[in-house]
Amino acid sequence: MGIFVSRLLATLFGDKEARILVLGLDNAGKTTILYRLQVGEVVATIPTIGFNVETVQYNNIKFQVWDLGGQTSIRPYWRCYYPNTQAIIYVVDSSDTERMSIAQEEFHAILQEEELKDAIILIYANKQDLPGALDAAAVTEALNLHVIKNRQWSIFKTSAIKGDGLFEGLDWLSNTLKSR
Amino acid sequence: MFSLLYGLWKYLFSKAEFHVLILGIDKAGKTTLLEKLKTLYSDVEGLPPDRIVPTVGLNIGRVEAHKSKLIFWDLGGQLGLRTIWEKYYEEAHAVVYVVDSASKTRFEDTKSALEKVLRHPDLQGAPILVFANKQDLPGAVNAEELSRYLELKDQKSIQSRVQGISAHEGSGIQEGVLWLVEAMKNNKRTEQLQRQAEAAVTL
Repeated sequence: MGIFVSRLLATLFGDKEARILVLGLDNAGKTTILYRLQVGEVVATIPTIGFNVETVQYNNIKFQVWDLGGQTSIRPYWRCYYPNTQAIIYVVDSSDTERMSIAQEEFHAILQEEELKDAIILIYANKQDLPGALDAAAVTEALNLHVIKNRQWSIFKTSAIKGDGLFEGLDWLSNTLKSR
Repeated sequence: MFSLLYGLWKYLFSKAEFHVLILGIDKAGKTTLLEKLKTLYSDVEGLPPDRIVPTVGLNIGRVEAHKSKLIFWDLGGQLGLRTIWEKYYEEAHAVVYVVDSASKTRFEDTKSALEKVLRHPDLQGAPILVFANKQDLPGAVNAEELSRYLELKDQKSIQSRVQGISAHEGSGIQEGVLWLVEAMKNNKRTEQLQRQAEAAVTL
């Protein structure tokens, strides 16, 4: 009954729900971003094996955010979470130029997924606080974002540690999800 | 026999589909225009101008206008992002170039960015519609003046038109789009892109 009432309230007052996947290589900052968005502060994280899932309420949208572990051995399991996903947040460690090409490969593998073909793409060029971090244009180039022509995408410079850029990205996400 | 009939049916009833790039320097009003296009030509209500943030990426608008399907690609216009533009040229049928007509200090930047667009080999033969935007602001130069400044008429090989609009209020947009659709329909580049697309399908 309680669930029913809350669902009814949600439909009446325009709370949309959206299922968002946060993906990216290990050590990109996915978990830090998730908790920065949810509790508003930096929490100590350990490498994620499996997933973290939290609900973030922002701009009348309830984001159900799935943060999936990024290590090589567990990346094949990402696809178990693909169905019914409205958006992907792809997190890149902008200072890790060595692994940028791997980040690019994994990203394009995600783009090929049939189950994700309608998901919109938000890229966080993370760790902007670190020296040598690539800017948005350079990350765009490195990830070959321009091959995306059939869906909306956007890239934001972020620093999960400082909290920069994260909510600007969510603004874009909520606006774009609403106008679909 | 079936394919013949199908071909005929397709010829009679399918709508042409065009890819249109929306370009211009930052703060010109590209995304505001895109959202207005959605409001004018589709049943989706576009975002109000105060909710629009600078674009760093790609926004897409799919609309039907003047019996054609138009897919608009709106790209970010900040200096560092303009390198992405050319990656979209090859598949574009036409370009809408948006100018902030009230911001004279940035006309030079706008003109040189436009010239670079026009010179690019991947865009050869594509019609260019310049939207002299922000006509609702005081001090905005009109379409004629802007046209003279941009010297588009001197480039005889390029099919172009300068149209005064207000993306905010919506004035002038439909006139421009009508011209653009007609220009794309009667265009060699459109035929070429069509052939390429068909070749890609049969492969």
